[in-house]
Amino acid sequence: MKFGKWLKQQIEETLPAWRDKFLSYKELKKLVRLISSAESPEYGKVDAEAEFVYLLNNEIDKFNAFFMEQEEDFIIRHRELQQGIERVIDTWGPNGTKPSQAEYNDEMAKVRKDIVDFHGEMVLLVNYSNVNYTGLGKILKKYDKWTGRLLRLPFIQKVLEQPFFVTDLVSKLVKECENTIDEVFPVEVEEEIVKVQREAIKVAGKGVFRNTVTALLSMQEIRRGSSTYGHFSLPPLDLPDSDLIHSFQLNSPIPTV
Amino acid sequence: MEARPALSIQRSGASQLSNHVVAGGLSSSLPALSTHLEETCQKFPNTQQAHAERELMTRPLAHATLLPANNGVVGHIFSSSSGFSSDIHYSSALPNEQNSRNSPFISQSPINTAALPLSQSSNSLLPQSTIPSHHNKENSGSWCTDPDFLDFPVNTPVLSSQVENGSCSGIMRSEDFGKQNDWQEWADQLITSDDALTSNWNELLVDSDMNLEPKTAYQVAKPCTTVPAQNQQLPSPSVESHSVVIPSSSANNAPAKPRMRWTPELHEAFVEAVNQLGGSERATPKGVLKLMKVEGLTIYHVKSHLQKYRTARYRPEPSEGSSEKKLTSMEEISSLDLKAGMGITEALRLQMEVQKRLHEQLEIQRNLQLRIEEQGRYLQMMFEKQKSGLDKLKGSSSNPENPPAPSDATNESPTKIELESSQRGNGNSGTGTVNAKSMLERSPQEVCGEHTTPETVDLEKAETHVSESSSQQPSKRPRIEE
Repeated sequence: MKFGKWLKQQIEETLPAWRDKFLSYKELKKLVRLISSAESPEYGKVDAEAEFVYLLNNEIDKFNAFFMEQEEDFIIRHRELQQGIERVIDTWGPNGTKPSQAEYNDEMAKVRKDIVDFHGEMVLLVNYSNVNYTGLGKILKKYDKWTGRLLRLPFIQKVLEQPFFVTDLVSKLVKECENTIDEVFPVEVEEEIVKVQREAIKVAGKGVFRNTVTALLSMQEIRRGSSTYGHFSLPPLDLPDSDLIHSFQLNSPIPTV
Repeated sequence: MEARPALSIQRSGASQLSNHVVAGGLSSSLPALSTHLEETCQKFPNTQQAHAERELMTRPLAHATLLPANNGVVGHIFSSSSGFSSDIHYSSALPNEQNSRNSPFISQSPINTAALPLSQSSNSLLPQSTIPSHHNKENSGSWCTDPDFLDFPVNTPVLSSQVENGSCSGIMRSEDFGKQNDWQEWADQLITSDDALTSNWNELLVDSDMNLEPKTAYQVAKPCTTVPAQNQQLPSPSVESHSVVIPSSSANNAPAKPRMRWTPELHEAFVEAVNQLGGSERATPKGVLKLMKVEGLTIYHVKSHLQKYRTARYRPEPSEGSSEKKLTSMEEISSLDLKAGMGITEALRLQMEVQKRLHEQLEIQRNLQLRIEEQGRYLQMMFEKQKSGLDKLKGSSSNPENPPAPSDATNESPTKIELESSQRGNGNSGTGTVNAKSMLERSPQEVCGEHTTPETVDLEKAETHVSESSSQQPSKRPRIEE
């Protein structure tokens, strides 16, 4: 699948509030074509490159700003969630101030849902980072190809240091979340697992979940193989449960607004 | 030069200011700023000199709104300013590009912000030996007209930063440390409502954007910065978070604030401070800022963070996904009704599985991307090393078809052969650089195929690959299939 189309899909499928935060791939591609076709003197070419770099930097600013804002939100929410769990345990848990199995279960259910969605959102942010990075790489590759210049390598080195690409903190939060979830969820029983797999299809309508399913499958799709497979390309994605995950997509009764 | 003594004071003033802009966010109230500058002005007994300076001083005062009370704005300015330096005559002596590339961004921005108000005057009176004195006049000239004026502040950061980064940086720093305390209080006074100023700033931003756009050169903005540079200037052991200045050139950015990269540790400190002050509702940004005592943290950062914090606590499902979440809960209820056996927990578990998987894959992908770029960089380096070697070779031998001289290492020979064949293949495709690059690109194809093979082996493979058929370059690209 062509990247432009794939990116468009990603954008459509993502959380609505995120939609305008992605790379303006199409516009940049048009600019590259414009630059390459313009029969301009050397000065004009330099100018065009400057313009291109300027736009790219703008995009990077955009990513950075959005990413760090989300990251900040996540940090706050993460702490709040942890506190929330402690509160539930301390209040309604077996050793709490007002132990109550019913209340505990209720509250825990809410907390679990929150955590799982939170986890999902964080993963989506990491995905966001990745999608944009990939886009940048591709547009730079196009630029190099069409103008014969060597912008890609140095520029991408710069990108690698950008806040939006350094997703370490978010990944760490994700892992912590996973640990918390392990603690908070009841122990998984064999039958449940089977049931889970059988009933999979009906679950996929949910917001964040739906997004993550899409993101995962899209990733597989975009790495399937390309006509311009080069040394800078990634190998195809290896997803063992690909079929299962595909089945998640069948039922999407409520379109994302 | 007469101006010299005045300059040194101003510059030290600038450095102090810089600390404050970073630490306190000069959402300056003009009066405070003007009075201060006026005081500095009055120190000069020499009427002629004082007059000239006062003139120059008033300009910055009048336009002090440009002070990026928000470093981001400065950052903004800074980002495009490197391009402008060419516009400035006195940039000739300054290693413009070097500075913007080598020096981490943030180290310059504080200087910039600091330097801004005073630099507007100090530029003309630049103490730098590299700046000829006659530029004073030019500057005064440029002060008169508005468009120039708008350009000017943009220009100045470059100069000041270069200036600072140049010979005087050492001096600057020592001055910084010495006078920091005074300025803390001073900046505190300045920390009032930033609204009035930011709107001015926005307008100016818009205008300057127009000017900026066409002139931005390639060395524009490493948008990011690194902490170490800042730490050099402002020793702040407690700051793990990075006050990242984002050069935001878009006029849409509402008060282009310097973006702080928060960390859990920093947030923890924040929460503690808030709790000490009686909770999120009662705590004020100023109070929290004071309690936290974190270098590089501005009241602006604290303000916005506090806002987020309050929202997160009192509306547990904050705006970002709220509409989704409503949808989700409705879906959930209906889907629960539908599914007999599957409880919420199982559904959640499933969701977790997918999410975990996605995250895993993302991490793998990211690591791969990093490695690919590393490889690319390594080869590029080899290529360049080899190129210089080859150039020497070419100098001694006129026949490019000569087999490469015995190379020092196996690593080097493949790249050499690449160069040779690339020259041979010049006729086939585009420019030599593109060609060589495609050769360069092809060798890592082998590398990619075997993720764990050491690099030497890969390069050898590339060598055989390349020497086999240099003329088949285009067809080789899709050859690798996995």
